[in-house]
Amino acid sequence: MTTTIIPSNKAVLSSLLRADFITQWRNRRSVILILLIPVVITLAWKSMINNPIFGGPFVLANGITIGLNAIGLMGYSNAVARDRDKGIFQRLRVAPLTAWSIMASRLIVQLAMVMAVTLGVFIVGHYGDGVTLNPAGYATSFAMAFIGGAVYLGLGQAIVGFIKNAETVNAVSRLVYFVFIMVGMFAGLGAMGDKMKEIAKWSPYGAVQHILAAGMRPEIWNHQTTMILLVTVGYAIVFSALGIKWFRWSSK
Amino acid sequence: MEHSSNTVVLQVTGLHVNYGSFHAVDNVSFDVRAGEIFGLLGPNGAGKTSTLSAIEGLLQPQSGTITVAGYNVKEKPLHARANLGVQLQATNFQPELTVAEILQLYAGIHGVPLTKEKLQDILINIKLEDAAKKRFGQLSGGQQQRVSLIIAMIHNPQLVLLDEPTTGLDPQSRRQLWERMEGMRAGNHALLLTTHSMEEAEAVCDRIAIIDHGRIIAIDTPQVLIDKHRDDPEVVLVSRKGKITLEDVFIGLTGRAVRS
Repeated sequence: MTTTIIPSNKAVLSSLLRADFITQWRNRRSVILILLIPVVITLAWKSMINNPIFGGPFVLANGITIGLNAIGLMGYSNAVARDRDKGIFQRLRVAPLTAWSIMASRLIVQLAMVMAVTLGVFIVGHYGDGVTLNPAGYATSFAMAFIGGAVYLGLGQAIVGFIKNAETVNAVSRLVYFVFIMVGMFAGLGAMGDKMKEIAKWSPYGAVQHILAAGMRPEIWNHQTTMILLVTVGYAIVFSALGIKWFRWSSK
Repeated sequence: MEHSSNTVVLQVTGLHVNYGSFHAVDNVSFDVRAGEIFGLLGPNGAGKTSTLSAIEGLLQPQSGTITVAGYNVKEKPLHARANLGVQLQATNFQPELTVAEILQLYAGIHGVPLTKEKLQDILINIKLEDAAKKRFGQLSGGQQQRVSLIIAMIHNPQLVLLDEPTTGLDPQSRRQLWERMEGMRAGNHALLLTTHSMEEAEAVCDRIAIIDHGRIIAIDTPQVLIDKHRDDPEVVLVSRKGKITLEDVFIGLTGRAVRS
């Protein structure tokens, strides 16, 4: 038996991350769309900032939530479905690396996208809408954005786990994205009645938006916000668990 | 390569792979030695891909043992895969990455330092020196195969698995690939090749195994197989040129029915 060298996890992960970041960057149209829509909506909803019912944090949280939706449902799930369909995962899996490192690299890239969206909305909120938070508000919001991102990445994983065909994944994820945003946004505004508004508050869209908005003003964090945070974490755990359970590396 | 030409690099013993009640691979045993090109031939659905997938660690067999370079695939998967180079059937690199970036990715994954000079040498070796910045999806089929093969070899593995590597290639590219495979054999690598081309198997394989319905039904050198079966009535019946070829033996042994 000859001496066999197994590369360190750090070396493997850095190689994967480099490739995954390049791939993400080369898909600029998708990246721009993911960044642009929350920014445009944040600017478009400027009139709600001075409305006592909504306010600046509500507008910013809404923009970030839309971005998180797009990252998990449009970006991540479609990229994973395509790479599975093309056998890119299988090619990686026959190399001396662990399965978790392949997915960890993908998720780190998506978490960078979560940061970019959050930062983008904060910058536009500050310069475009004149909304400025205190340092604790920014820090808590970033933490909430990562939790919210986990919900939608988990949901994307569940979709790509449940559906094998890449085109069907694309269609279903777009549909879910559209339904979440329409129902979450309009029901959250009260346009569909009080009952729907309450339901929307506890839905994945409403819950993420709520913890983000509350995170921007940690001083008004209350018991209900904690409950909604727990529900959000629950969504992330359930979606991720289902996604991991159902996921197959090959679409054949 | 530190092993001698008689060293067994791949050992498959009593392999069973089932999909539900269907026995895809049924008690398959064979070995591949250093400096040998071993062909695994069989009709569609015979069990070739399942056997290869089990060797690659992509599926868990129901029973049997597989060792690569002395490492049990189940017990030491990373060590086994570190000694394994694989060229899969389908295009399987991110189309957004350039040739150079794909080489850097797989060199990094295998812990192989890749300087600019070494990268350039590799590209010259596969006649793609001008394609370093081309994306994989922009390459021709033959160029993609050359990239795929060089990536399978980037870490100088003891065993190389080639899954129908010449499918879709023009005759020039196919001949070039055969020469590369022979070069790998000369470098004392062990090669396991699956192919539907009997011409290819006869041209490059030192030994072949014919697998059908999950079982190995013949295993030997191409010439010995032809000599052994030249008088079989089924083989004579399918012979078309008056001279018995490996294809005649293959069809005689596996039957004339078209498999799905």
